[in-house]
Amino acid sequence: MRIDEDKCIGCGVCMPYCPAGAISIQNKKAHIDRDKCLECGTCGRARVVRCPRGAIHEDEDVYQRPRSIRKYFSDPMAYHVETKVPGRGTEEVKTNDVTGRVKKGQFGIAIEMGRPCLGASFVDIEKVTMALAREGITRFERDNPLTHLMADPEKGIFTDEAKQCRVVSAIIEFTIPDEMLERTLATIKEVAQEIDTVFSLDLISRLENEPTIAVAPQLEVLGITPRPNAKVNLGLGRPLKED
Amino acid sequence: MTHSLHRTGTPENLKDDFVVLVTPAVGINNKGSQDKLREILDFIFDLGPTNIGSYETGTVFSGATIEEIKEKLSETPRVRVCFSSKEKVKKLVEFIKERDFGLSVTVSGLVDEIKDITQAVNIQPHSINLSLGIHGKTEALPSPEVLEFVTMCGHGMISASLVERLIADVKAGRRTPRQAAEEMARPCVCGIFNPDRAAKLLQKYERQ
Repeated sequence: MRIDEDKCIGCGVCMPYCPAGAISIQNKKAHIDRDKCLECGTCGRARVVRCPRGAIHEDEDVYQRPRSIRKYFSDPMAYHVETKVPGRGTEEVKTNDVTGRVKKGQFGIAIEMGRPCLGASFVDIEKVTMALAREGITRFERDNPLTHLMADPEKGIFTDEAKQCRVVSAIIEFTIPDEMLERTLATIKEVAQEIDTVFSLDLISRLENEPTIAVAPQLEVLGITPRPNAKVNLGLGRPLKED
Repeated sequence: MTHSLHRTGTPENLKDDFVVLVTPAVGINNKGSQDKLREILDFIFDLGPTNIGSYETGTVFSGATIEEIKEKLSETPRVRVCFSSKEKVKKLVEFIKERDFGLSVTVSGLVDEIKDITQAVNIQPHSINLSLGIHGKTEALPSPEVLEFVTMCGHGMISASLVERLIADVKAGRRTPRQAAEEMARPCVCGIFNPDRAAKLLQKYERQ
């Protein structure tokens, strides 16, 4: 994003809205730090930040690589060109009843890098994907836009272009057979100590009957307690995937 | 992504906080789904949602209108809506089940509350997405009190500094909890931030 200095009156109304803390007042004008700006678009939305002069605009290069990587992973109003899906991941559990993305006997795992608040660089994201690749997890979700930025999925390595970028969040997504759960979560917990950000961790599984946290005892062994609030797919989609 | 998962808080303050998503699957059943979603949106508007919006328009708290949300549904349309009432969620789920639209529906909230809904409507849920918490450099995060607000927007559009400023406004008597909650709701573009819950959380900062 950029500030039109001819229009800006330095009122500072935009400053607190920036999730990345990229806006400051310099010489009585708002200034956006281009390195800190993640292109989430919040400051430029007239309905959100009521800039009295309409002085905040998108940069001309925001839809061109490498800047567009920030845009697509940070602005929920931008649809990924590759997947036609808005947001940063796939439809994950949202449509699992018709896609069968996570089947019986499997777990779906999503590692939401940078979430909440801190954002993530692809250098940190790569630390996690490389750790997973060393464990033999190399089949990352095909429809996830993050996978399109990998230079070598077998090693979990991203392109140099991606590694120049920071984003609000990006989701590492994959499925594993049931029996790999404990080892995979242990790897994820281990690599968490090496990164300069945070991630929120998702675990998707099929339900046999009512929504219960059947996997809780397995997680307890790893010192992980699932939150009491979750997201449940009600199984109303058709055609229903039952496998 | 799982923008409705990972809301932090206590079971008590999460009890009346629900997000319903209706999502046609891209390439499977998204074609021709707009009219079904418009019908669902009409039902939601009659019920009275806590918050609603779309990626195309933003939310009712940032000035989007019901007609605009319906009109601007994309070729991969979605309904994202927040409720503060289990009864309303139950009615919506009942309606979608009865009409047999064939579109995927998720409900986010306390597992025990969702179980009540699925049992009442006689539904066998298909899958669950659990939140296994936040890992990594957690010492760099804002306070747990701020996180309760920020994590209601899973896209990360609500900045911690905005939350801190609005808490300060409530403490100083410059805004009521409701006014601060509605201001906080505006950067969330999809409509899942719950201003009712936010207003309740802000009450503790009011001048006595």
